[in-house]
Amino acid sequence: MRTPDTIVALSTPPGRSGIGVIRLSGPASLDYTRALVRTPDFTPEPNRATLKTLRDPDSGDALDQSLVTYFKSPRSFTGEDVIELSCHGSPVLLLEVVDALLKLGARAAAPGEFTLRALSNGRLSLSQAEAVRDLIDAQTNAAARQAARQLGGELSARLQPFKDSLVEIIVRLESSLEFVEDDLPEVALESLRLQLEGLIHNLEILARSFHSGRLLKDGLKVTLVGRPNAGKSSIFNELLTSDRAIVTDIPGTTRDSLSELLNLEGVPVLLTDTAGVREAFDPIEHLGIARTRQAMADADLIVAVIDGSQPLTREDESLLADLPAGCYLIALNKSDLGQFDPATLNGSARGIKPIPISAKTGAGFDELRRAILAPFGGGGLQTTDFLITNARHSDLLRRAADSLRASQKSIGEGVSEDLILVGLYDSLRFLGEITGETTPEDVLTRIFATFCIGK
Amino acid sequence: MSFDEKFDVIVIGAGHAGCEAASAAARMGAETAIVTLNLDLIGQMSCNPAIGGIAKGHIVREVDALGGIMGRVIDRTGIQFRLLNRSRGPAVQSPRAQADRSLYRTEMRQTLEATPNLHLRQGLVIDLIVENGRIRGVEMQDTRRICADAVILATGTFLNGLVHTGRRTYTAGRAGEPASLELAESLKRLGFAVGRLKTGTPPRLDGRTIDWEQFEPQPADERPVPFSFSTEIIPQPQINCYIGYTNEAVHDAIRANIHESPLYSGQIKGIGPRYCPSIEDKVVKFPDKTRHQLFLEPEGHNTAEVYLNGFSTSLPAELQQDFVHKIPGLDGARIIRPGYAIEYDFIDPRGLTPFLETSQIKGLFFAGQINGTTGYEEAACQGLLAGINAALFVQKREGFRLRREESYIGVLIDDLITQGVDEPYRMFTSRAENRLSLRYDTADARLTPYGRDLGLVDDSNWELFHSRRERLSQLRRIFEATQFKRTDAAYQSLSQLLNADLGNSFTFAQISLRPQVDLELLRKVFSLNTGFAASPAEFETVFADVLYSGYLAARQNNLDRIHHYDSLPIPQSFSYKKLAGLSSEMVERFERARPLTFGQARRISGLTPAAISTLLVHLKLNKAA
Repeated sequence: MRTPDTIVALSTPPGRSGIGVIRLSGPASLDYTRALVRTPDFTPEPNRATLKTLRDPDSGDALDQSLVTYFKSPRSFTGEDVIELSCHGSPVLLLEVVDALLKLGARAAAPGEFTLRALSNGRLSLSQAEAVRDLIDAQTNAAARQAARQLGGELSARLQPFKDSLVEIIVRLESSLEFVEDDLPEVALESLRLQLEGLIHNLEILARSFHSGRLLKDGLKVTLVGRPNAGKSSIFNELLTSDRAIVTDIPGTTRDSLSELLNLEGVPVLLTDTAGVREAFDPIEHLGIARTRQAMADADLIVAVIDGSQPLTREDESLLADLPAGCYLIALNKSDLGQFDPATLNGSARGIKPIPISAKTGAGFDELRRAILAPFGGGGLQTTDFLITNARHSDLLRRAADSLRASQKSIGEGVSEDLILVGLYDSLRFLGEITGETTPEDVLTRIFATFCIGK
Repeated sequence: MSFDEKFDVIVIGAGHAGCEAASAAARMGAETAIVTLNLDLIGQMSCNPAIGGIAKGHIVREVDALGGIMGRVIDRTGIQFRLLNRSRGPAVQSPRAQADRSLYRTEMRQTLEATPNLHLRQGLVIDLIVENGRIRGVEMQDTRRICADAVILATGTFLNGLVHTGRRTYTAGRAGEPASLELAESLKRLGFAVGRLKTGTPPRLDGRTIDWEQFEPQPADERPVPFSFSTEIIPQPQINCYIGYTNEAVHDAIRANIHESPLYSGQIKGIGPRYCPSIEDKVVKFPDKTRHQLFLEPEGHNTAEVYLNGFSTSLPAELQQDFVHKIPGLDGARIIRPGYAIEYDFIDPRGLTPFLETSQIKGLFFAGQINGTTGYEEAACQGLLAGINAALFVQKREGFRLRREESYIGVLIDDLITQGVDEPYRMFTSRAENRLSLRYDTADARLTPYGRDLGLVDDSNWELFHSRRERLSQLRRIFEATQFKRTDAAYQSLSQLLNADLGNSFTFAQISLRPQVDLELLRKVFSLNTGFAASPAEFETVFADVLYSGYLAARQNNLDRIHHYDSLPIPQSFSYKKLAGLSSEMVERFERARPLTFGQARRISGLTPAAISTLLVHLKLNKAA
């Protein structure tokens, strides 16, 4: 085996932040670190952080005070010797440290190269590698927990029993085809059909959990709309004060005052206020309309805010008429000032139960939170259950279930085993895309272990 | 160096691989010599006297479609033809035939002797003559030296063969024939990776001492399905085989004497085939089974010898006799030849190119059991491909290979050269990802054009191929497109026969897909009402095409989606050593197999998922770069 070189990269997102972590992986990781801390016999205890002063290897000038953690091969993320340097988060300083390591002989890591090394060294399966990416992107604790589970190989482990039952069915059918002259037990097709039913059911449940899983990972986009003075900004601020998200650095979202990340019972919620487009419903303000429409189109859920202390205005009505069916709720603000009669709601909004709230007193906000989460699996996601967080996995599980359904249909139609097997093999391949392949040799091995074959 | 004789191609061994190889090379115009230890045992069936069976029958059809000889020889000498899995889907149906062992040998020898450019030689090859990494010829035990540009080794179980019966062992290629010891040494000297495998046979009984009444007769099919596309009639009278069972008394006796079996005493080191276990293995590994099935297979019209299929054993001969007596109906049966196990050398097939040429010595080809396979059919198809490629090699033409998607032969060779073998390799339909498209009755459509290009399909067979193809497409048109309305005679007779309302109109394709339809009945109504007299075989082929077409289309979508990286090419200069983090074992597995595509790489045995992922990521990065 070729000795791999030692790679280095800044492992936290670029930009000003509290701390920045620089990661080294490869056999020379410790040597380079020794040069950087100017202590030739520096031998940190693995998995323990040590505070050290980093110095420029040429000039000896102090660069930063850093927490140095050593992960000894093979008990590290990549399987190689890994050093993590937790530095102060100045972009300039971090660049200098990385530069110093490059000068010492490290190579700048290509994107994903740490994960690739972990894959190569058998430290990660493909689904685990995907979980790493999710963990890095995780925005709340619940999402992080979910990614960590998948990283632990839980998805593969969960799918293993499905694969086992599937292989067992395949083995029975294949044996009956391949070893027609052997004295094998008859395959009871009806019991097989029932067995498939159970498998399909379980696969579909797992595939469906993606809906909740996706929310944990990507967050829920909620947009507040309403005419001026309905109280959107007060609601926005009230939700922000109590539920401000733990992580605020969201890549890809504008960090203007109109969008903020909340943590609603573990679900990351990106809340957007359309306050900037006050005249949104003035037909002359085309630009404003366009921006509101955009915000509404992007939203998973729209909260239409209506001033409940007054009768519906023409603007309110036009807003309600504009809402896409099925993914909005109505908040009746200023409930402290008087009661609005829901019966006056008409058109598409008829029959939707508005939630009375008061941004002033805080009344009704618990119900609002629950209502925001309700269409997505109910308030308080069941994070104790295993959830699919990856669209690819969900898609594969769904296809695996569909293939089984096709086989089940074939059994009902009384067609031959070779055709029933088509769907079973397809299903096995889809599962294999997540957990690793089952080869014909694996199937044959099972056949010979199960049945006495051979004239 | 001086030579006694000179040929283009020499084939060593005249078993099922050797015969196909020699016949193909000679018919492609190469002056070919076939060297065998005993000219009277050409095409010998050393194990059971049968050809075909699930997946194996497919292979024989493919050999025939390419212009090989096995199909025609068995059609002329088969004494019990049966289509297996007749009630199952067409893709898993397969012809099988019991052969008259002696007739088969005679017919095969005559076939070879009637082949121009083909020369039979008797003798024992003891050494290969190699110069500068290229084969030059062979040296015989009787000091003759024969020169050739290409040499095909098809030595079966003869390389270092060691026969076991009880504790007694002796060197032999088959019972009663000498082994090839010097040649085995020569191959080791040349640096080939040699392994050891084992196989076995059951005892042969004197048919006159069997109480046949005690067994259930298994008749031949009324309508025999031949192996060759050119065969019209099966000439041999058809016989019954018989089915019987072992019992607990036999099992107990075997278990009590298991220490006498060289399989269990540690005497045999080679690995045997799991699907062809000895009776000792069956009894030990499946203790809960109260009986094991036996087939009594007569060896031919002119002999009383009977093959006791299912009772393969290497127990001492006297114990074999005792145990056979415990089977009802065999209480007076006498063993003519005891069963035995044989260990033999094979060469790791991962050292072969897709053309079955060794990568270390140019012009040297291996075919058959030497590559770790088992079975006459598996041997024959390798012989055919090796013969074709040896002829192409001496004619300096490009090599010929078949893809997995188009043939069982392609599956077999791809498996061998990429995965190697851990036990004797036998074909199963489940090894073919594309099994639904690889039906026995489509072998001609898939492969005969290749055979024609190679010069192995003569004018009359080519003519036959075309007329069959033409008739099938005509038949399919009528089958799918012709609508029958309520007023048509066909409508009335069919709805009466099926006792069902067939709607306002129907096509035969629609009717044929209804569950439990009697295809033969449908065919008769079809022929009567369309004026197209379809033979049962033609009708079945068109039915199968229609039946599978929907599945194949849906399946293709799925396969495309799942394996869309399979066609990703791997440059031949690709260095696996440069893949960071790959263990030396993984690097070695990749390098031994030298896959041409990611799909091939994925199928290499023993790779970790991580190694495969790493390769894929690198290939994708390279492609992007």
